[in-house]
Amino acid sequence: MTAMFIIGTVICAASALICWVMTAVRRHPADSAIISLAVIELYLFAYAGYAAVRQSGGASVVGEVWEFWGYVLTALILPIGVFIWAVIDKTRWSNLVMSFVGLVVFVMVYRLEEIWWGSAL
Amino acid sequence: MSRFSQPDAGQQVAGPTPRNRGIGMLIITAYGIFAISSFARALYQIVVHFEDSPVAYLLSAFAAAVYILATVALARRGHTAWLVALVAVLVEMAGVIGIGLWTVLDPELFNEATVWSHFGQGYGYIPLILPFVGLFWLLRHRTVQ
Repeated sequence: MTAMFIIGTVICAASALICWVMTAVRRHPADSAIISLAVIELYLFAYAGYAAVRQSGGASVVGEVWEFWGYVLTALILPIGVFIWAVIDKTRWSNLVMSFVGLVVFVMVYRLEEIWWGSAL
Repeated sequence: MSRFSQPDAGQQVAGPTPRNRGIGMLIITAYGIFAISSFARALYQIVVHFEDSPVAYLLSAFAAAVYILATVALARRGHTAWLVALVAVLVEMAGVIGIGLWTVLDPELFNEATVWSHFGQGYGYIPLILPFVGLFWLLRHRTVQ
């Protein structure tokens, strides 16, 4: 298990948790929920940057490079897309919609780790 | 009184919240995530590995198309969108059950996984649950022509 994976897990779990709490206590998209999506996006940029530096330095991934960057790209789109969709209608459900990002990005980082190292754990 | 004097209020029967708002936003988000990820996966499979398993990859592309259609139709208001969404969700249900059964009974057929293989096992069985949620939502929010 890499440090990057642990950090990602913590960020995603915290984001989902914040979004769920905000669904209960706010009747509009909460700042904390939006910021938690921004943190996930930042993390994904860091993850992509780290992978790019390593791979351009000659390090290989166990799985396929194509698939790896496909996942990275899809993951990067996700927080932005879900955020735009969530704030179309500013209700408490916006927060629940935003909680999907943490869950899905966690699964995607898990898959990325499998492609990168052969196993996420 | 004010609710019923709004121009689009007559289109919905089931209540003040339209089909594509409130909890409907969640269902559309789930469909949207599947639309994006299955599209990305099908694109990758077809561009990089098409020769390996054309049947499975064409099926991936078909599944992606169904998810995209369902997402757009669920997000739109009106009776036509409701009908399109209903058809898309029923095709999706038939797809996940049919392909799920097929992959269990004859595992040799698809040597490469698709989103519907083994009832969506690789995606936490969400592909199996999603069409039932979608169908329930559509039937709860019928439109009048």
